[in-house]
Amino acid sequence: MPEKTDIYKLANGMTLIGVPVAAVQSAAFEFLLPAGASLTPDGCCGAPAIIEEWIFRGAGGKTSRELADLLDGLGLHRGSGVESKHISLSAALEAENLLKVIELYADIILKPTLDGQQFEYSRQLALQGLLSLEDDPRHKIMLLLKEHFYPDPLGRNTAGKQEDLQNLTAEKTKQIISENFNPSETILAVAGKYDFKELCSAIEKLFAGEKLKKTKNIKVKKQTLAHHHYPHEGAQVHIGIMTGSITPQSEDYYNARVAVAVLSGGMSSRLFTEVREKRGLCYAVGASYHSLKEIAGIGCYAGTTPDKAQETYDVIIAQFKKLADGISEQELDRAKIGLQSALIMQSESTIARAGAAATDFYMLGKVRSLEEIKQNIEKTSVKSILGYLKNNPFEKFCSVTIGPTEIKPG
Amino acid sequence: MEFKHKKLANGLNIVAEVNKDAQSAAIGFFVKTGSRDETDKINGVSHFLEHMLFKGTDKLSTHDVNRTFDDLGAHYNAQTSEENTIYYAAILPEQLAEVTKLWCQLMRPALRDDDFNMEKNVILEEIAMYKDLPQFDVMDSCRTLHFGEHPCAKSVLGTVESIKALTSGQMREYFESRYAPNNITAAVAGNFDFEKICDCIENLCGGWKPKKAERITEYFAGTAKKEHHKRKNLNCQHICLMSPTVSYQDERAYAATLLAKIIGDDTGSRFFWELVDSAIAETAGMHCEAMDGVGAFFSYIRAESKNSPKAMQIIEKIFKSLQEEKISTAELQKAKNKVLSGITIKNEIPMGRLVELGVNWVYLGRYRPIEDEIQQIKKVTLADIQNLIEQFPLTNFTQFSIGPEK
Repeated sequence: MPEKTDIYKLANGMTLIGVPVAAVQSAAFEFLLPAGASLTPDGCCGAPAIIEEWIFRGAGGKTSRELADLLDGLGLHRGSGVESKHISLSAALEAENLLKVIELYADIILKPTLDGQQFEYSRQLALQGLLSLEDDPRHKIMLLLKEHFYPDPLGRNTAGKQEDLQNLTAEKTKQIISENFNPSETILAVAGKYDFKELCSAIEKLFAGEKLKKTKNIKVKKQTLAHHHYPHEGAQVHIGIMTGSITPQSEDYYNARVAVAVLSGGMSSRLFTEVREKRGLCYAVGASYHSLKEIAGIGCYAGTTPDKAQETYDVIIAQFKKLADGISEQELDRAKIGLQSALIMQSESTIARAGAAATDFYMLGKVRSLEEIKQNIEKTSVKSILGYLKNNPFEKFCSVTIGPTEIKPG
Repeated sequence: MEFKHKKLANGLNIVAEVNKDAQSAAIGFFVKTGSRDETDKINGVSHFLEHMLFKGTDKLSTHDVNRTFDDLGAHYNAQTSEENTIYYAAILPEQLAEVTKLWCQLMRPALRDDDFNMEKNVILEEIAMYKDLPQFDVMDSCRTLHFGEHPCAKSVLGTVESIKALTSGQMREYFESRYAPNNITAAVAGNFDFEKICDCIENLCGGWKPKKAERITEYFAGTAKKEHHKRKNLNCQHICLMSPTVSYQDERAYAATLLAKIIGDDTGSRFFWELVDSAIAETAGMHCEAMDGVGAFFSYIRAESKNSPKAMQIIEKIFKSLQEEKISTAELQKAKNKVLSGITIKNEIPMGRLVELGVNWVYLGRYRPIEDEIQQIKKVTLADIQNLIEQFPLTNFTQFSIGPEK
C-alpha cells in the first residue's frame, strides 16, 4: 500500500504529523505533551494524573460543562494517559469534525481555566484512583515493576504517591503546567481521513503564538535491579519480572523485538508453552517489550495461586535465560509472521496509527513506514538474534510480587 | 460492502460481508451455547470446553494447533458468555482459507483426558485471577443474585467446586448436545473470496449431523434483592446494580442502549456530572446488555467507603427523577452522536464488523447492514426513551456490593 506521511514543523518547534489511512471515514489524533511523571519536581509525584483531568474542567472561556457538551456533541471517543515523559491526549471521531475538535483541544492545552474548586475534585479523583489501584493487583504490579526497574525519576509511578497528592496545591500544579506544557516538544499526530493543508493552517493559527521553550533536563539516578514483595490477601500471587533491553534507536532493535516474540508472541511461543500448556501453572502469562527513550526493558507478568508461585517464577526465568542457547528457524519464522501481520492489522485502526506515529517521532525523530518496519523484521536472522542476546544477555532481573506468599528470586 | 449467505444442508449458516478495501479479514464460529445452557452440576463446562477446543483433534496435537495459528500470523482467541461461545481469528487475506480450515477441524475436538486434566488447572487459575479483580467479581455475583432461578444466573467460569467435580465424560456429552451444525454460525468479514471460503467450510463441516439444540428463553425481570459482602483485602466499595430491560430481539434495544449512555456514559452523562465530576465516586458507568429473550441494565460504581452512602443516595435520586426531569433533546442527541461515531470507528476494522455480523445472525436470524443500524439509532425519539423508562423503572434494581471490612 503506498503511503506518505506528512510532517510539518512550526517555528516554535511543535511537530504535526499526518498519516493517511485509505478507505476510512474516521480520523484519530494524539497529542504528546512533554509533561509526564518523570518531569514533575520532587515531592509532586502524581501531578500529571491531576493535570490530565483538570485541564478538561473548563477552557477557552467555556465552563467544564460547556466544554464536555461540545466534545460529546461531536461524538468524540477520547482517551488520555500519563507516561514517563508525556501526558497523552487522544481521540477518535468522524473525520468531518476533526478541525472543530482540534480547536477545542488547543483551548484545553493552551487556555485551561484551572479553577481552584475544580482542582480539588481532580485531586480527589487522583487519590481515589490510587486507592482503587490497591484493589487491582494486576494493574498495580505493572506500575510497580516500571517504578523499580527504571531508574528514578524515569520509572516514577504515574498514578502518584498519596502524600504528594495530598500536599499538592492548585498554585503549585499551575506552575508545573506552565513549566511543562512546552510547544517546542509537543507532538500532534493525526491519522485517517484529513486534509493536511487545512490541518497545517489550523495548527499555525492555534499554536504558533506559543514561544519556544528550553528543553528540560532531568538527572537520572543509577539503575538497581532487585526483588520487592508487597503483601496482599488475594487469591493469587502476581509476579512481575523485567530485564534490560535496547531502545528503538539501537541497530539491534528489531532483533530484540523478534526475540521477545519467540519468547512470548503467540500461543506456540516458549512462555505460553512451558508455563501454561505443559505445566498448567497460570492462566495469564506473557512478556512484552517496553521502552523509554533512554532505556528499555522486557517486562513479564504471570498470576498464579500461592503454591505454584515459586515454580512459575523459576520456569519463567529459565526460559528467559535459555533463549540465548538457540532458537530454531521455525520459531524465527513464526515470530516474524506474527509481528508483520500484527503491523498490517493495526494499520487499519486510525487510533493505533496516530499513537504509533507520535511515539515514533518522539523516539526516532521520524515516522517509520509500514514497509520499513516490515523489511527490518524480515532482515533478522537466527544469527543476528543470537548475536544480540550474546551482547545483551538476560542475566539481571528486577522482580515484584504482590500476594499472600513470598517467593525466593534465584 | 456486500452481504453473502449460505446455509449448508445440515443447518450450519455461513454469513459474510465482503469489503475489498480492507487490509485484513476475520472469521468467527459463533456457537449458540453458554452458561445459561448448563445445569448446576456442570456449571462452567461451556467455558472449559472453549479452552479444550485449542487442545486439538484426533489428528492435531495442542502444539500443532498453536503452531499452525502462529505460522499463519493469526490473531486468534475465543470467548464464552452466558449465551455464546465465539471462536475467532483476524488474519491477512491470503491466509484466511488456511485459518478457516483449522477452525473447522477444531470444531470437532479430541477432548483427551490428559489435556482435560491439565487444562483444569488453568481454569482454576482463571477463576482465582478473576477473584482478584473486584470489578469483575462484583458484576458476576450481581448477575447471579439478579437472575435468581433463571438460567442466566449461572456464572460463565463456574465455581471451584463445579470445575473440580466436572468429568471429561460430562464435557463430551455437553459437546455432543450443543455443537450441532444447526447451532453454529460461521461469520466472515473483510477482504476475501466468499465462494472459496464457503467451499472450505462445506468440505470440512458439511458431514456433521444436525441435532436438536434448544434453549429456554423465558423473560425474567430480576429478583431486586440486595446484598453486601465484606472482603478483607479490599480498599474501595465496588457496587453493581442491575435492572431489567428489553431483549436483543426487541427493537427498543436501541433506545435502551441510548438511555444507558445518557445515564451512565463515562463522559457527560448524568452519572458523570452527579458522581464523578464532584469526585463522589471514582468511576460510575452504566451499560445495557440486551440478551436472548431477556435484558438488563448494569451499573458499576467504585467509591471510597466514606462516599458510598452518598453515591447510592445520588443514584437513587437520578433513577427516581427520570420520571420528572425528563431526558432532554440535547442529551439524546449527544448519546446518538457517541453511538454513531463508535459504529463508524468499530466497523472500519474487519474484526469489529465480524462480531456485529455474527451476533446479529445468531439473535435475529438476519443480516443488518450498517446503514440500517445507523437509521435505527437516528430514529429513536424522546418518547421512545420515556416509554422505556416508564416500562422498566430503574429504581427497581438488584444490588450487590463488596467492600472493606473496616
